[in-house]
Amino acid sequence: MEEGLKFLGVGLAGLGLAGAGVGLGILGNGAMNALGRNPEAKDAIVPNMILALAFTEAIGIYGLVTAILLIFVA
Amino acid sequence: MVAVFGASLLFGLVAGPIGAALLDKEPFIPVPEVELAPPRLLSIGAFHVTNTLVSAWLTTVLVLLLFVGGTRKMKVIPGRLQSVLEMLVEALYGFISGVVGERFARPFFPILATIFIFIAFNAWMALIPVYQVLTLEVDGHATHVLRSAGTDINMPLALAIVAFVFIEVWGFKVHKIGYLKEFFRFKSPIEFFIGILELISHFIRLVSFTFRLFGNMLAGEIILLMITFLLIFTAPLAFYMLELLVGGVQALVFTGLTLVFALLAVAPHVGEHEEHDEKAAH
Repeated sequence: MEEGLKFLGVGLAGLGLAGAGVGLGILGNGAMNALGRNPEAKDAIVPNMILALAFTEAIGIYGLVTAILLIFVA
Repeated sequence: MVAVFGASLLFGLVAGPIGAALLDKEPFIPVPEVELAPPRLLSIGAFHVTNTLVSAWLTTVLVLLLFVGGTRKMKVIPGRLQSVLEMLVEALYGFISGVVGERFARPFFPILATIFIFIAFNAWMALIPVYQVLTLEVDGHATHVLRSAGTDINMPLALAIVAFVFIEVWGFKVHKIGYLKEFFRFKSPIEFFIGILELISHFIRLVSFTFRLFGNMLAGEIILLMITFLLIFTAPLAFYMLELLVGGVQALVFTGLTLVFALLAVAPHVGEHEEHDEKAAH
């Protein structure tokens, strides 16, 4: 029972990655739109996009770290 | 080429857990064990030498040897190693001066370049297969001698503290004691509250810096272990490529964020606009 609840918790923590996925999609969409409209601005768009992607990804990583800690430590 | 690839794919399918499940046998490859806390190799009093610490030292020594060796006999027309190192340093300098401008690029460069090179080389070196193979008998069970330092939470935490101190010291250096005005505002209750939020956000950076690097490195390591177990020889190739990218990107992100926060700390206090940018960054 407790083992099952633990893995339920792991699954719920992993669910947080969905939000990060949506965020990454929106960011990619914005960057692609910008690149399509103004391909010359690539040098300005790509580094900023990567930085923003990293911020968004970090939120997902928190959920992932929680899940990993639950599996291997709790 | 295709035959070799097909044969390895077939072998991976049969030897891994997929084949084991189909043939109703034990998997040929042992199930990987994931350890969160790095095991100790050696204890000197209260000081424990862990395998992640050894890999951090190894990275430091190898990077030092590479750079000293590459730049000891510098020539006007550079050799192969020297030109590669020059390209790396120039690219980093260009990145930094592009963000903060020439005035702060020089004083900021050494610490930021060190952070970048350490994180990137540490992550890339952990992809050398030696890391997973080399083991040593400690207290009766085999322990890995080397493991990427990023998978131990202490290394990202240490780097985050370095970055934090770097940012705050530069804030005080440029604004003197007036830097505190950013946090303790007494104009109105709302301003006071914003100042306190600002103070908290500076300390939250420590957490976000640490967990971003730690989470990415640890997740990468676990994914590589699991994929190698699942489908040996072929599938890990793609994930090794991914990890190569992740190592570089995480080093760039850590450096870039330190750079942006340092820029915000040294920038003149113009008011609402910049604060908004900083909040959006979290």
